[in-house]
Amino acid sequence: MSGWGERAPERVEERIRVQPDGTITALSGKVEFGQGIRTAFAQLVADEMGVPIERVRVVLGDTAQVPWDIGTFGSRSVAQEAPALRRAAAYARELIAKGKAVEGVVPDDVPLRPRSEWRYVGTPTRRLEAGDIVRGSAAYVADLRVANMAHAAVVRPPVRGAKAGRVDDRAARAMRGVLAIVRDGDLVAVVAEREDQARAAADAVEVEWATTAPRTMERLVIPMRDDGGVDEALAAAARTLSASFSLPPISNAPIGPSAAVADVGDDSATIFAGTQRPFGLREQIARAVGLEETRVRVIAAMPSGTYGRNSTGDAAVEAALISKRAGRPIHLQWSRAEEFALAPARPEAYMEVAAALDAAGRITAWRYDEHTNAHSGAGLDPRVLPMTSGRNAIPHYRLGRARVTLHVEPTPLRTASFRSLAAAENIFAIESFMDELAHLATREPLAFRLAHVEDERLRRVYERVAANAAWGRRVGEGRGLGIAGTIYHGTYVAEVAEVEVDASGRVRLVRAWAAIDPGLTLNPDGVRNQTEGGIQQSASWTLYEALRHRDGRVVNAGWDTYPIATFRDAPEAIEVDVMGDASQPSTGVGEPGAVCISAAIGNAVFAARGVRVRDLPMTPERVRA
Amino acid sequence: MKTRLRVNGEEREVDAPRGATLLSVLRDDLGLTGTRFGCGAGQCGACYVLADGRAVASCLLTLDQAQAMEITTIEGLAAKGTLSPVQEAFAAEDAMQCGYCTGGMIVSATALLARDPHPSDQAIRDALAGNLCRCGVYVRAIRAVKRAAEGGR
Ligand code: FES
Ligand code: FES
Repeated sequence: MSGWGERAPERVEERIRVQPDGTITALSGKVEFGQGIRTAFAQLVADEMGVPIERVRVVLGDTAQVPWDIGTFGSRSVAQEAPALRRAAAYARELIAKGKAVEGVVPDDVPLRPRSEWRYVGTPTRRLEAGDIVRGSAAYVADLRVANMAHAAVVRPPVRGAKAGRVDDRAARAMRGVLAIVRDGDLVAVVAEREDQARAAADAVEVEWATTAPRTMERLVIPMRDDGGVDEALAAAARTLSASFSLPPISNAPIGPSAAVADVGDDSATIFAGTQRPFGLREQIARAVGLEETRVRVIAAMPSGTYGRNSTGDAAVEAALISKRAGRPIHLQWSRAEEFALAPARPEAYMEVAAALDAAGRITAWRYDEHTNAHSGAGLDPRVLPMTSGRNAIPHYRLGRARVTLHVEPTPLRTASFRSLAAAENIFAIESFMDELAHLATREPLAFRLAHVEDERLRRVYERVAANAAWGRRVGEGRGLGIAGTIYHGTYVAEVAEVEVDASGRVRLVRAWAAIDPGLTLNPDGVRNQTEGGIQQSASWTLYEALRHRDGRVVNAGWDTYPIATFRDAPEAIEVDVMGDASQPSTGVGEPGAVCISAAIGNAVFAARGVRVRDLPMTPERVRA
Repeated sequence: MKTRLRVNGEEREVDAPRGATLLSVLRDDLGLTGTRFGCGAGQCGACYVLADGRAVASCLLTLDQAQAMEITTIEGLAAKGTLSPVQEAFAAEDAMQCGYCTGGMIVSATALLARDPHPSDQAIRDALAGNLCRCGVYVRAIRAVKRAAEGGR
């Protein structure tokens, strides 16, 4: 990765420690939030060191113990971290065999064990946390308790970014259980013995809020590809097609709202947080509370599943400031409404596409304009935007002359990373439009795609998923099959959806199939689980979800007004074929599953009813239209 | 003000306001954090416990109401450390990702199997419809409930 400078040489003792009782501690700055990396890392360390997996303990994301790390995102945790851990484990084994201490720089050419000697990698392995999770003993951030801890609740302004003026806390102070009302700049909070007491008192605090006019935000136009002559080619072509697609903003909507535990003293601080960037958060908190970074310890604890949104440390920073002011450890649990209203969302998107076909049904020109907002915490840095807001805007097909332009158009809604960033919107538009083009060319949709595929691994996943789903078979009345595929950060994925559309226009995902090639695969069942989850979650985005806001203020901040898929909406089966090419490096699996299903569902709805839905979510009204 | 509560087969004494939610009492007074906060409004299932054998939202019950009931939390399902059939099935099917919703699902499934030992697919979906999962493990969870009903296969 560029931009963050050269990494210092890896030292084995920063990653592998052998305890006196023979257990191995493996250390990594990556964090676990349900994607199964603890298990994957334990598998590869156990294999490389030749020990049973039970003897490996994986420590993740504790800034006092693990080597510095940029953060866990983009499905790349395994991809980036696995080789470093593996080399360290191999070197540790070599040192132990020679009777030497496990320390020193890991040589680049340390010999790795051959695949034939692996026992765990590539074999389905039960998640290490499974036992604790089903017993209810797994500790999430919100479950951590420290001595002398009190509970806090924040007094929220009517709009984000409002300035706090006079505070009247007389009524709140008199309330039961209230220990302190604290203020740090515009942050006003109540500290109480119990959480409900803190919340009730926070509602009773009167703050004069001064709202600032939203600043006018600059638009950015970023050319991503321009072969030249695209408009001319479109104007001259015999057959052209154009369409536009839209997606609403959606919420990460974790089941557990953000939480943090902070203990900030005069000269040191410890923070438990559900963060994807423990070291980034350490820096942020050190600055906020005025301590040296080395005096701050951030311990990444399990959050409720979170799909990108936790690259921001909101609750942790608030908890740290409140703890500092209150002079005692603080537990801060956001409410459901706070999570919906304050957490950054995936921004809305609008795509305009036009293409030309020649007489043989080949694409000869392609024009694509994507309009959206920032899709990551990196904000509006034009160097980063093509990889975030423009992710997967350039199709992996032979297109003739193409022009792809990203228009970044900020709105007052706060936005951040969400599973697969802009790939979900781009692949929805591109793969829906490919279907439309196939119909224009009077070609079967899969054959049309394959005629434009250049990459062999992409062809293989398409062919495999088609075979598994018995693509081309007749399905019942009111049913249809749809297909879509892409390459996401090096992972090849193609998906088929079978849907049923009833008379009211309600769409049900009956069954889904995926073929995925993430290169060398550590834990095939982990890949399956992640891909299934991505499909289920993305089907929910596609069919049900839209965050409504007025001037950046979220108006549907509860499960009753922001429904997601439930057990009743789950498909009968999700069949994932993991066909990792073991000669290729491991690539991410957390996000690709979520990328293709929107278009596959839309294409299936078209096959079932002849209705092309270009705007999400696919509500009955839109499908009936 | 002390209140007596029967939780996981034991009589416990709690010093908490009678209007406090059962959820907060379990988590903050009794240290039973396996019952989780998700919405506080009975809409997500993360906080489900068995109350007299029925799966209920502990965020909607007050301590006062709960004291008349026999409460079982996720921590109370594994008898002497041995996983219950439903817990075992969820682990075997890896029917979880982050696991935040898992305890609530296991509670709902346990109540279901107690009244309907061989539920249909639809009965499972209906019984667990109140348990939201954002990670999307529904298909696996349905499989896990069936596996538990079939006695582990
Ligand atoms: S927390 Fe009780 S149902 Fe959501
Ligand atoms: S496993 Fe994460 S919410 Fe269900």
